[in-house]
Amino acid sequence: MPRETEVSLNERDFILKALSEQVRLDGRKFDAFRSLELSFGQEYGVADVKLGKTRVIARISAEVTAPYVDRRFDGIFTISTEFSPMASPAVEVGRQNDAEVLLSRILEKSIRRSSALDTESLCIIAGAKCFSIRADIHVVDHDGSLIDASCIALVAALQHFRRPDVSVEGENVTVYSIREREPVPLAMLHHPLCITISHYHSGDVLLVDASLAEEQVREGQVIISMNRHGELCHIAQYGGVPIDPLLLMNCTSMAFGKVKELTNTIHEQLEKDAKERDAGGLIAELSAENER
Amino acid sequence: MTVSAPNARLTTLHRADGSATYSHGGYSILGSVNGPIEVTRRDELPEEAAVEVIVRPSVGVGSPKERHLESIIHSLLRSVILTRKLPRSLIQIVLQVMTLPEESEESMSPTASTCSLPLLPHLLQTALLALLSSALPLSMTFSSILVALSSRDHQDVPTFSPTPQGIRSATSLHVFTFSQRGRCLISESSGTFSFNAYVEAYKVAEKMCTDPVGQDQDEDIMVGLDEPAHNLTSFVRSKVAEKVESEQRWRRNS
Repeated sequence: MPRETEVSLNERDFILKALSEQVRLDGRKFDAFRSLELSFGQEYGVADVKLGKTRVIARISAEVTAPYVDRRFDGIFTISTEFSPMASPAVEVGRQNDAEVLLSRILEKSIRRSSALDTESLCIIAGAKCFSIRADIHVVDHDGSLIDASCIALVAALQHFRRPDVSVEGENVTVYSIREREPVPLAMLHHPLCITISHYHSGDVLLVDASLAEEQVREGQVIISMNRHGELCHIAQYGGVPIDPLLLMNCTSMAFGKVKELTNTIHEQLEKDAKERDAGGLIAELSAENER
Repeated sequence: MTVSAPNARLTTLHRADGSATYSHGGYSILGSVNGPIEVTRRDELPEEAAVEVIVRPSVGVGSPKERHLESIIHSLLRSVILTRKLPRSLIQIVLQVMTLPEESEESMSPTASTCSLPLLPHLLQTALLALLSSALPLSMTFSSILVALSSRDHQDVPTFSPTPQGIRSATSLHVFTFSQRGRCLISESSGTFSFNAYVEAYKVAEKMCTDPVGQDQDEDIMVGLDEPAHNLTSFVRSKVAEKVESEQRWRRNS
């Protein structure tokens, strides 16, 4: 396997010099995301996120299984992130690299452990039957900000997904196919998003949504998971460079603004997609969902 | 006997050397090619390029089904790519399944679709388009098709690129791959069938896959051009023509 191509010394100097002169390589502002393109598939639970040249596809699937013995009232939610050489030839099949470990760990902490998805609602019969929700993250094109893009894709796909409706009569469980009954959306408690902030020049320069070249020359990164109410789920600092506590406060307030922006974009796209699906205006009548 | 027209876009990814998105009849596959790249010592071949094929399902991790498909595709592509021109290097082909037709997914878990054949022609087409996009030297192009034989009134009726229901009701499935010169490269079958039925399926598949241009009389060329969606070779040809045209646009504008 070839190694990931690194930026040359000249490029590195150029990017850093430009940053110290308040200029980014692609002319963006320091706190600006690249153009976010979010689209949904024909099926429920497929989200395709394009963040600049980075492209991530998240796919949610559900099946009925037995719950874990020690968690009789909970459904199962797993996130699988497996890189393929499609994203970058430096990826070796069957061997995890650092980026992959980092991505799966961050998603695990900020989405699964922050209980964004209410796993209790996935229980059908305690200790016997539950839904197992599986999220597959396919990284298709890699140009930086993988964590941010994957998180957007995952949260959008979870909101877009509809699981089949079930009814329980005593011990008997009936799972209705999409044709028989309108499938129901997942119960989500909140929608956290990850924002990666790269820092340069010992914290003088803070960038959001760094491209691959910018990622390669950064001193370190602060990853902040937050929902649109400003509730912090997870904060991580990588890179080995110490960072000022005040700067960390700056980062969180910066992330808060970005999360609100991104959540709005996701909502707009979800509404647009729902409108397209709701051709005859029948979805509201078909739905068996109760108001929460 | 109508076949829905396949759809393809070349060079959809920016990082890979070549890539293609191919969708046909509910299947959608994203393929990428990296190559020639550095090869590990273990896989290095002194006189030719090593070819690595990775098939990734849309849900879950790879299973023996994907490994089986990989081995079929690998054996074909090894002879299609001019590997001897690129010794001691690696050509890496990743085929990511994006969507499957709706009905087939419901029957994913039962035995009905454990058969891997319906996916195979789409994977092969995607691999070819991605290779063309990467501009690696190829000895030939090919086209691949799935034929389902279903018995009706004690007669075997062949259907091209059948729907998931058609696949379930079929008695046997056959995947044929032909080079553009009409040589059979792959013939994979499953189910029970007689030899005569196989020959019939072979003949209709050959007609669908091979290029009418250069083989038949002039009148037939016109027929071939009238219905490009019905011939897979002309489909590949049109896609490549599009690619070449877009690549040559700098020349026209000057």
